[in-house]
Amino acid sequence: MHNQDMPDGWDALKGTGVAVRTAGDGDEVAGVRPRWVALPESAGEIAAVMRACAAHDLAAVPTGGGTKLHWGAPPTRCDVLVDLCCMNRVIEHAAGDLVVRAQAGVTVEALAGVLAAEGQELALDVPVPGTTVGGLLATGIAGPRRFRRGTARDLLIGVTVVLADGTIAKSGGKVVKNVAGYDLGKLLTGSYGTLGIIADATFRLHPLPAARVWVTTTVARPVTETERAPAVAGFLPATVAPVTESPLEPSAVEIDWPDVDGPCTLAVLVEGAAAAERAKTLRELTGEAAEVTEEPPPWWNRLPDDDALLELRACPAALARVLPALREAAHASGARPAIRGSLAAGTLHIGLRGRPGQIADFVGLARDHAEGTYDGRVIVLAAPEETARRAGIWGRVGALPLMRRVKERFDPDHRLSPGRLAGGV
Amino acid sequence: MTELERLTARLTAALPPDAVITDPVRLRTYECDGLTVHRATPGVVVLPETAEQVAAVVRLCGDHGVPFVARGSGTGLSGGALPRTDGVLIVTSRMRRIIEIDIPNRRAVVEPGVTNLAITEAVRDRGYYYAPDPSSQQVCSIGGNVAENSGGAHCLKYGFTVNHVLAAEIVTPDGEIVELSAHDPGYDLLGAFIGSEGTLGIATKITVRLSRAPEAVTTLLAAFTGIEAGGQAVSAIIAAGVVPAAIEMMDALAIEAAEAAVHCRYPAGAGAVLIVELDGPRAEVEHEFAAVERICRDSGAFEIRVAASAEERAAIWKGRKSAFAAVGRISPAYIVQDGVVPRTALPRVLAGIDRLQEEYGIRVANVFHAGDGNLHPLVLFDDAVPGEAERAEDVSGRILDLCIEHGGSITGEHGVGVDKARYMPRMFTGDDLDTMQLVRCAFDPRGLANPGKVFPTPRLCGEVPGVRKGAHPLVEAGIAEQF
Amino acid sequence: MDPELIKDCVHCGFCLPTCPTYVLWGEEMDSPRGRIHLMGQHVEGTPLTGVMAGHFDACLGCMACVTACPSGVRYDRLIEQTRAVVEREHVRPPDEVAIRALVFALFPYRRRLRAMRLPMRLARRLRAFLERVHPSLGAMAELAPDAPRPVRLPPLVRARRRRRARVGLLTGCVQGEFFPQVNAATARVLALEGCDVVIPPRQGCCGALSLHSGREDEAKRFARRTIETFERAGVDAVVVNAAGCGSSMKDYAEVLAGEPGWAARARALPTRDLAEFLTELGPVAERHPLPVTVAYHDACHLAHAQGVRAQPRALLRAIPGLELREIEESAICCGSAGTYNIFQPEAARELGDRKAERVLATGARLLVSANPGCTMQIAAAVRRAGKGELRIAHTAEVLDASLRGLDPGMLGWSPR
Repeated sequence: MHNQDMPDGWDALKGTGVAVRTAGDGDEVAGVRPRWVALPESAGEIAAVMRACAAHDLAAVPTGGGTKLHWGAPPTRCDVLVDLCCMNRVIEHAAGDLVVRAQAGVTVEALAGVLAAEGQELALDVPVPGTTVGGLLATGIAGPRRFRRGTARDLLIGVTVVLADGTIAKSGGKVVKNVAGYDLGKLLTGSYGTLGIIADATFRLHPLPAARVWVTTTVARPVTETERAPAVAGFLPATVAPVTESPLEPSAVEIDWPDVDGPCTLAVLVEGAAAAERAKTLRELTGEAAEVTEEPPPWWNRLPDDDALLELRACPAALARVLPALREAAHASGARPAIRGSLAAGTLHIGLRGRPGQIADFVGLARDHAEGTYDGRVIVLAAPEETARRAGIWGRVGALPLMRRVKERFDPDHRLSPGRLAGGV
Repeated sequence: MTELERLTARLTAALPPDAVITDPVRLRTYECDGLTVHRATPGVVVLPETAEQVAAVVRLCGDHGVPFVARGSGTGLSGGALPRTDGVLIVTSRMRRIIEIDIPNRRAVVEPGVTNLAITEAVRDRGYYYAPDPSSQQVCSIGGNVAENSGGAHCLKYGFTVNHVLAAEIVTPDGEIVELSAHDPGYDLLGAFIGSEGTLGIATKITVRLSRAPEAVTTLLAAFTGIEAGGQAVSAIIAAGVVPAAIEMMDALAIEAAEAAVHCRYPAGAGAVLIVELDGPRAEVEHEFAAVERICRDSGAFEIRVAASAEERAAIWKGRKSAFAAVGRISPAYIVQDGVVPRTALPRVLAGIDRLQEEYGIRVANVFHAGDGNLHPLVLFDDAVPGEAERAEDVSGRILDLCIEHGGSITGEHGVGVDKARYMPRMFTGDDLDTMQLVRCAFDPRGLANPGKVFPTPRLCGEVPGVRKGAHPLVEAGIAEQF
Repeated sequence: MDPELIKDCVHCGFCLPTCPTYVLWGEEMDSPRGRIHLMGQHVEGTPLTGVMAGHFDACLGCMACVTACPSGVRYDRLIEQTRAVVEREHVRPPDEVAIRALVFALFPYRRRLRAMRLPMRLARRLRAFLERVHPSLGAMAELAPDAPRPVRLPPLVRARRRRRARVGLLTGCVQGEFFPQVNAATARVLALEGCDVVIPPRQGCCGALSLHSGREDEAKRFARRTIETFERAGVDAVVVNAAGCGSSMKDYAEVLAGEPGWAARARALPTRDLAEFLTELGPVAERHPLPVTVAYHDACHLAHAQGVRAQPRALLRAIPGLELREIEESAICCGSAGTYNIFQPEAARELGDRKAERVLATGARLLVSANPGCTMQIAAAVRRAGKGELRIAHTAEVLDASLRGLDPGMLGWSPR
């Protein structure tokens, strides 16, 4: 442990001129409490903090809104929390170019406000309120419209990052089309702060859609009794397929299944000047009982909030097998899942209620099924410590050796969010 | 016996009988890709048929410390597949099986030598297509698309290769077969690999996303007296909240060339033509079309043509698609440039190009993807006139400077390759390039995968992993330079 | 090998996927772009090696690359020039020389071909033996169709209605000997559409095979003779029903470029493919229903060399009850390519199998091809595949059957 025998760390941090304070209760990173919090206001200040950390072998973890600090694995050590809340400036919104560059600490809500003033948006849904640009990239989280727009990595066109040794590097730029050099932004997406601290990011934007309409319907029996049964009419897979296969270009196809023994809601978002007309056609595909509204259902773009949160990644057509398997896992483990998300885009979020042991059992069953039968993944985003320890957080990571090698190059002394990712990365 | 000869003997033993090419006459046909100004006869060419064979070749290269370069159809325009005289050229043209078409999951699994268009052709009758459509789509390979992160005319709306590849099996520079998947948590290695121009390994199996074919497609051709009015129309279309599938512009000289080559019959007297393609649900397309047509008229279009059928659409696109090759009809030689500027900077950059034309006495034809600011200036010259080739080269380079000055990029889709490596330091700082180099070192510490491409000087990965812990011995000795 | 023509190639590679040998082997030097590069090497001083000649020989001359080229490279001219250089400079091994001598002493001469019909039928039974002697002999034996009943055509067939044109008919060597019923059908169709059809009895070979094999002098001799023959006939157009013959006749002016007088006479000779001519003329005869599913095969020398793709399809579609199906990869050569299937039997066989597979996949009952070489090649491949009922006919025979209201079951012949 690093403690009083290294008092010069604090002095070094203070010596950078960056605002620093002693860490408090609210500063824990997945249960690990840092010693100090640094509050840089520029990439240069982040670099100064990182150089001080390098000089005194201090481990640093970046944070933005702090909304997902409890996600991922706990860091193996954590001396300094680099809080980017002061870096909350939208640096440039080039509306004519449909491009925005924002500092990492800008929340997506604040960004949306700025963009909306010009009739534009970052066409992502971020399901955790208060998420910052940096946190969005570091966790790679995305909401319903990932079906049509992809995730942050698909809209990110440039990034500035500060490495463990204080090097400030950028890649990409502020043009949408650009293939010069490696795309560091991609590498940082989903990196949980282990490669560098994102200082700012540049995104391509879209015009705000003229209209948005949701088509919502309730499916009484989402799945058949066993996963081997075919997709029968009236069941969820048979309802989803015609929607995703239609040329109506839905922006999102989401399900909300709060109780695996109850009904499931299917909601489809259509955006555009002719959204209402297209929604009418969609309603014919989803059934007469479907409702067409101009407001989203209350659960739209919110993660199920329970004792634990999982992310399941699968191919779209696995829907018919995934849902029955999750129900079976629920019955077998005793954990109670609430399932939400878009299998049409290959991602479900699962909130779990239950004791840590039950949740761990559920994770094990769901993961075995996912990895074993349809090359899916089950990732524990947030869970009680005991669950995470018993079930493991990440599951299979195909390219882990390569990831380790990248980490070794970027942060050979493991001073940036050490251990936050799979395999000790 | 040289190292390469020793390696060749082992390659011959490891591969099928006709998969190793050593005859000098045959080797020379591989001396360049689509960019012919750079030429180098490969030391040896191999034509593997499986990922295992690719891995075996790469491992043998490692054993002998011999560099290797991957090549697909050899259509690249930045010399990314330029061979090494002291190395092995690994050609994927025999790896062209479509392994799986999986409509329910909207994806296809293909080998790297499959052509871009072959995927669309395989799924078209089921109502799907593969969205990225580089101009060379009938010949360019998916492996090459992955290496270059290829775009195309329609990437304004649909994005690039990186947005449409779901997974890739790659052979790493140390000869391991690794699966990179969008499903894996952690770093987006797949995203970093795509567009790395063969410097991080060789893709041997690629899973691509299939997109639903749009319900309606409308293509409109608007003729303007000058390029300014056309540019104004583009800005107005974007400001109106329309995202067309494509917006392409050609200037008078490019129109003249296309006319000479394919008799595309664009409106007479046009100083610029704009091609706008809208696609999507029929109701949306109708709505957008009305807006685009009005904007074009308001911006001064003196003639507007609309294609509803596939034939009429092909007629409109014919001139645009033939433009590069067509310039050969009005000039003995030319350089195809590929730069990007923020769309709003287009008028200033075009004015800058005009000034360059006057200063150097060199003509430049302009063809560009106006929607995303991707310029393809065609710098015309006569190689028989002494000094003209050099002047054209200067103009070409200064156009890139203009792009960088205005916050753009030195390449939008052709890649850096060997051709533009020297421009990289103009766009990026030493720290930027150094950081990119860390990725390279993680994948390819010995620098055997396509060395000399993308980055301006040989990069050193150091014996101990670490970020610049003192100077590398070779740097100290003055043998190599580090940024 | 004209350096200026070589320079036109910008190395874009658009020709690659259309080239049959590139499709087969995936090698640069067996693609048009690679072959032009080899020509460039030779022009710059690299000697014509056996390896180089091999890659030129492997070219089918299908001209699909000419269609695909955005820069307008005249590969057709280039490969003809190159073949002549190969013939002049390259010393072939003795067995190759012997086979080539046999073919060129045989095919362009109708009477010799006629004399060979019986021995060839016998040869089919001896195929295994011939194959061992030389693969080319085996290939020849396999290709030869059953000798048909000879059809004697009169020197003049009168129009069956108000005369709209006076045309000459090139009967062709292989077409005339192995598919005489095609010529008869062609004459009938033309007559029913209001044409006087002149069929000069003493016409010889048009020179196509020689031209496409680099035998320039021989080709010129045949060309001059053919021009003379049809000049004497005094016709509005020379109608050709064999794609290979038509394409070489349309090239006469270039073949005879060195002889200004002849070149001018060549230009004055209006050569038309049958489908092209009928489309220009417009239909007057009644089409009777012909309920049959048809797969139309694009002969390279029609589609690529003459740009005739739409016309035959339009003629077929205009027949009531006829359902036209497209063959996948229609732009890729079947491997016949004049004498290619004899000189390059292995590659030709692979291409033939590839084509047969795609033809059979259409599920059509009738394959329509407008070139006798293609017909024999695909028939042999279908026979090898040993599956699917398929009959083969020429466009002219299908039109003839419709115009005369014949039973579609009688159309064409079966390769079995």
